[in-house]
Amino acid sequence: MTDRRGRGVDVGDLPGARRLVLVGVGVLFWGWLLARWLHDWVLAPDVNTSDREPFVPPARLEAVAEQLHDLAAGAGAAAGLLEWLAGGVEFAAFGVDSMPALAAGAWITVYLTVLSILLGLMIAIPLAVARTYGGPVLRWIALSYTELIRGTPLLAQLFVLYFGLPTTRYIREFHGVGEGFVPYAAIWVAVIGFTINSSAYQAEYIRSALQSVDPGQLVAARSVGLSRLEGIRYVVLPQGLRYAIPGWTNELVYLVKYSSLAAFITVPELFRAARNIGSDTFRVLDIYLVAALFYLALVLTLSVAMSRFEAAVAIPGVGSASERD
Amino acid sequence: MARLLEFDDVHQAFGDENVLRGISFGMDRTDVEVVIGPSGSGKSTLLRCVNRLTEFDAGDIRLNGESVTAMDVDALRRRVGMVFQGFNLFAHRTGRGNVTLGLTEVRDIPSGEARRIADENLARVGLSGQADSYPAELSGGQKQRVGIARALAMEPELLLFDEPTSALDPELIGEVLEVMRDLAEEGMTMLVVSHEMGFARSVADTVTFLDDGIVAERGPPEQLFEHPERDRTREFLGELDT
Ligand SMILES: Nc1ncnc2c1ncn2[C@@H]1O[C@H](COP(=O)(O)OP(=O)(O)OP(=O)(O)O)[C@@H](O)[C@H]1O
Ligand SMILES: [Mg+2]
Repeated sequence: MTDRRGRGVDVGDLPGARRLVLVGVGVLFWGWLLARWLHDWVLAPDVNTSDREPFVPPARLEAVAEQLHDLAAGAGAAAGLLEWLAGGVEFAAFGVDSMPALAAGAWITVYLTVLSILLGLMIAIPLAVARTYGGPVLRWIALSYTELIRGTPLLAQLFVLYFGLPTTRYIREFHGVGEGFVPYAAIWVAVIGFTINSSAYQAEYIRSALQSVDPGQLVAARSVGLSRLEGIRYVVLPQGLRYAIPGWTNELVYLVKYSSLAAFITVPELFRAARNIGSDTFRVLDIYLVAALFYLALVLTLSVAMSRFEAAVAIPGVGSASERD
Repeated sequence: MARLLEFDDVHQAFGDENVLRGISFGMDRTDVEVVIGPSGSGKSTLLRCVNRLTEFDAGDIRLNGESVTAMDVDALRRRVGMVFQGFNLFAHRTGRGNVTLGLTEVRDIPSGEARRIADENLARVGLSGQADSYPAELSGGQKQRVGIARALAMEPELLLFDEPTSALDPELIGEVLEVMRDLAEEGMTMLVVSHEMGFARSVADTVTFLDDGIVAERGPPEQLFEHPERDRTREFLGELDT
């Protein structure tokens, strides 16, 4: 939980063929996931998560596995290979069977991440500005906040919010919580926890990005008559936030994975959905493998999307995207 | 009637380094004053005191008879334009965007009108074709001309130039000086730190030699360059020639 540095391979930069394969897999994954969500909420909203049927009947795959087993029995030398293939098909059948539940979990993971990173950003920007341009008091407050949050484990923060403080009780008092599309209290606690936590990390990335903006920019803004705050808003932030995109992407990717900690405060996100299947079927290794593929797909998608975004907002001479050209 | 700009015994220290040690002189409307002096003599500090990017310790600076320290600082800066040695163009905005920011946010001009004013001022510095280019796409001379257009668009009463050509390749200096010469002819009041002797000779009304935080010598260019009264001035001019 300490090391959030280091960037993975930038998928957007991969050469032709491999990229094509990844895009194909991506389209398949998202096509299926969106269809699943659409089906489960719009077309068949009254079916319990555990009763949802996969699009591809796993029975058919299981039948194929059976046949492979039978073949293997009389195949002599090739038996090993056939058994191995049968194992693969069985794994696929199991994976397919768990898809509806994982899709439901993935939905929570996605919006937990997206909501938290965006709300966190709204806190992180003022924090970073306070650290960089604030007076001693503001700087001290911002520093204390970031150090307190970054210096304590995220799981502990979630536990304090969920079990320690009366947060949940307050949230339940809001009208409509847990009804229809409004998530119930534990999810809100998770959003609050992740928002607070990621705001501290985002603030650090943004702060160092702001520091890479030439101080002469603010002087020039002041010299045409803009106030300090206006100069920060119109001149420093538009540049600094562009510089912050790579670091911010890191944080986003980490948040996808750390959102799994919400499982420990009962939120049925992707990891918890997998864990539940694991304890029902005792196929723990298999289900975590399938879940890992989900996380991988989410992370790769986000990092491709972010490098697209970075390129889309790039300005010659500002930010790392422009330096790469 | 009050002078446009008046320095009255201005002092400024950084720590125990006395950078300005009692500066007094004045300028009238349409005057062009060129300030020369060795590195560290306080030239930039002097300019920055005028628009209060540096708040001076003692003495007074008056704009149209009114002490700059008594003015709202943003209003003061709107009245006094500044052009920087390092251009300091807003890196994320086009040439036009650099000019419009002050118009829309400081002068509260609607954006369509701001664009028109920006394009007018860009044309004035010969950059009609570069309005949509970002600073990184411009040459040094073009950048500095955008810097001038940005300051001009605010319709300042006084323009400050801090070594506007010293970061430029020699072949690009001329286009910037040309623009400044035109401005002088149009009657713009300009306080210019520059060691471009040709410009000082032909455009300046007065040249001030700043040395070690005081006005060491001051006079019309032909007098100061041809017949300096002080040895120190002669010595400095000799160093510039080599
Ligand atoms: N903000 C500041 N804080 C501390 N010292 C400063 C500051 N600004 C200027 N100084 C010091 O004041 C002195 C004069 O600086 P200034 O920039 O006014 O000189 P200058 O004549 O413009 O020199 P140059 O020709 O190198 O531009 C220098 O010794 C500089 O180090
Ligand atoms: Mg200087």
